[in-house]
Amino acid sequence: MKLKPLDYAVIIVLIIITIGSSGFAIYNSQKNYKNKYVEIEVKGKLYKKLPLDNSKKEQIKVLTDLGENIIEVDNGKVRIIDADCKDKICIKDGSISKPGSVLVCLPHKVVVQIKGENPESDALSF
Amino acid sequence: MKKTQKLTFISLLVAQALVLYVIEGMLPLPFIAPGAKLGLSNIIITVCLYIFSLKDAFIVMLLRIILSTLFGGSISSFLYSLSGGILSLLAMYLIKRLGKNYISIIGVSITGAFFHNLGQIIVAALIVNNINIIVYLPVLAVAGIGTGFFVGITSRFLMTYINKLPFYISIRNNKYFKGD
Repeated sequence: MKLKPLDYAVIIVLIIITIGSSGFAIYNSQKNYKNKYVEIEVKGKLYKKLPLDNSKKEQIKVLTDLGENIIEVDNGKVRIIDADCKDKICIKDGSISKPGSVLVCLPHKVVVQIKGENPESDALSF
Repeated sequence: MKKTQKLTFISLLVAQALVLYVIEGMLPLPFIAPGAKLGLSNIIITVCLYIFSLKDAFIVMLLRIILSTLFGGSISSFLYSLSGGILSLLAMYLIKRLGKNYISIIGVSITGAFFHNLGQIIVAALIVNNINIIVYLPVLAVAGIGTGFFVGITSRFLMTYINKLPFYISIRNNKYFKGD
């Protein structure tokens, strides 16, 4: 199995992209955000916004003409626990807790993302 | 070496790509990220790019996507496949042209896999209207290395056999078959 020089170059470039972009994402999520909140968007429009609180457990039903998703916010973590689409990819995605992470349900055009607010620099997450 | 022969050969490749696509749908693959797939039918597209031209590879890809949509896809899966397919084919063609003898079919196929994933994530971002989906990029880049490598190795094996086919040897130097 012989690889040629540009084959290595392609692999190295992709590894750099991986390390670079995940490093950037990690850097963003490690910042100390004063307020973390969950934003639920449907078709690019804000559906609901709620604080990511460490204490209370809450279930949000996202019901649109495309379908239904049930999102659970618990102990600072967010996950989609049920959806009536056929692939259930959003459920398999597990739970997210860091600013910058997203959960996506493509068939229903639902995006759940965690954002952080930093009062000092007013920078939004990546 | 007439038109009909080429038509038949291309139809064969389309059928093979379609079969690989259907088989891929049956494999219970671990979920990595939206848009990440093994891309078995990319074996045929890559080989087609090598033995024919960009135009013919494009025809095979387009027919495969249209047929697989008819076989049980939706309009959104059609859009994902099409954008991923076009982007990946163009990227493979460019890197093959630019790389000339410095790149093998494996590097070409890794490039293709990455751009296929990239194309799908771009369409996904457009559909849900949210650019933050791009956080899946690192996962997709790694997945592209893995699946592209696999597809590339398979394509290389396939190429060694295709190169020995009497039929292919007889058409290889024919201007009509190779014409870009």
